[in-house]
Amino acid sequence: MNGVVIGVIYALAALGVSLVVGIMNVINFAHGELYILAGYFSFLFADALGWNMYLSLAVAVFLVFLFGIFIEYILIRPTYGNEMYSLILTFILSIVLQNAYLLIFGPYPNKPPTWIKGATEVFGLFFYGNQRLAALVVGAFVITAVFLVIKLTWFGKIVRAASQDREMAELNGVNTLYLNMLSFGLGCALAGAAGVILAPVFPVTPTAGVQVALTAFVVVVLGGMGSLWGCVVGGLVLGLVENLGAAFLSTGYKHIFGFIILILVLLIRPAGLFGRKEI
Amino acid sequence: MLQWTNLDVFRGETQVLWGVCLYIKAGERVAVLGSNGAGKSTLLGATMGAIEPKGGDIAFKGISLKGMRPHQIVRMGLAIVPEGRRIYKDMSVWENLQMGAYPRRGRHLLAESADIICELFPVLRERRDQRAGTLSGGEQQMLAIGRALMSRPEVLLIDELSLGLAPIITRQIFKALDALPGETTILMVEQNVEQALKHSARAYVLESGRVVRSGPSVELARDDHIRKAYLGL
Ligand SMILES: Nc1ncnc2c1ncn2[C@@H]1O[C@H](COP(=O)(O)OP(=O)(O)OP(=O)(O)O)[C@@H](O)[C@H]1O
Ligand SMILES: [Mg+2]
Repeated sequence: MNGVVIGVIYALAALGVSLVVGIMNVINFAHGELYILAGYFSFLFADALGWNMYLSLAVAVFLVFLFGIFIEYILIRPTYGNEMYSLILTFILSIVLQNAYLLIFGPYPNKPPTWIKGATEVFGLFFYGNQRLAALVVGAFVITAVFLVIKLTWFGKIVRAASQDREMAELNGVNTLYLNMLSFGLGCALAGAAGVILAPVFPVTPTAGVQVALTAFVVVVLGGMGSLWGCVVGGLVLGLVENLGAAFLSTGYKHIFGFIILILVLLIRPAGLFGRKEI
Repeated sequence: MLQWTNLDVFRGETQVLWGVCLYIKAGERVAVLGSNGAGKSTLLGATMGAIEPKGGDIAFKGISLKGMRPHQIVRMGLAIVPEGRRIYKDMSVWENLQMGAYPRRGRHLLAESADIICELFPVLRERRDQRAGTLSGGEQQMLAIGRALMSRPEVLLIDELSLGLAPIITRQIFKALDALPGETTILMVEQNVEQALKHSARAYVLESGRVVRSGPSVELARDDHIRKAYLGL
């Protein structure tokens, strides 16, 4: 059960990375810090300012979206054509953000209020925290929403077209610079969504984002670069494997299991579970 | 409609087009002929704003296209069937057509344009929900043309329609183009000189980035140099 919850959140965080990789060929090293940022925002609004909880969640994600657009405009746009620069710049950004968080919020874990208290009996088998169940439901809901948007809307269509052939998309009248900005913002917003959903369960600390980003990258590679389905399957596989491994073998090696799975999958399918061959 | 004046275009350090001058009038069908590396695709790339010319000008209805990005040029009313077709292989045939209609002018008329195009290429209607990557080469070319037409362009640029296609399919597609309503202006770039001359009113011959011959297609088909160099006669 824990595996599924964690898997969904992994998938959500990885979806943002994958979207940006697919369209822009840019890897955002600060992805984890944006996840944390949303966690801090929701803590700040709900706890310190006493806003309505749902409002603070929405505002937190929206602010991260705007911040993402700002990052794209200032840092990423000048680097098009050279992926190395954007890699280095976002890496620096992640360190800057970590230190900013440390200065502002201190090294202690911060935790926004939980949405619901108590626990529920699942299938008459065991008790499970309501907050975690809520995280599962909301996470699955956001993922479904993303897939519907990608499948059914004009925005989704141009996203898919541009990740296959961005020059051609431009020749079909798509303003790809604008699309980049929007999808980078959206990728960050997805990190933010994962952040606000999980923050009440796993409190945020200035450096907690590193682990999140690392896991998101593992999921993206596991699922296949740029494949959105791959993220969901990869996230679930990783979440389940880590938790089963931890349950049956040892908690200390939790993250090792993920990497073992990753290596095994890559040995058999070098492009990842759902990856396209040419990448 | 479209006018290219003294166009100089570089690819990296090397100059590919040298002072190229062409024009095409509204409703005209014009062919640009040339062998591999003559600079035909470069000419179209510069026209669509994908490559920036170093010198000269390209004007559409008197408005210079210089400095415009491809999506802006498409929105003005130009469309391209690129070399190698470049359809979106992982999307369905229908979604490919929809992508062509992305510019506002195309989106308003989406259903109507789709009908016209499926009339022109009935295969596309049959294959509507099929993944575009599974189409045959000829069908992919039809889809690429259909996609370009979906934006309701005033000028259609076609880069090597015949590339990799069986002669019979090539002829079939050229015939379909002839059947297009007269107001669509078409500039086709071709190595298949015989077919191109048959389906155009005028033609230019491009050699090493320079226009070396131009005139009515029927006259060029009789030209000795062209018969020797391109038709193998
Ligand atoms: N991306 C590029 N970078 C550098 N040089 C290029 C590039 N693309 C094309 N060229 C060069 O520009 C010249 C013209 O190329 P272009 O593609 O315009 O020719 P073409 O007439 O379309 O040929 P083909 O019939 O083979 O398609 C060639 O000499 C080619 O080597
Ligand atoms: Mg060419």
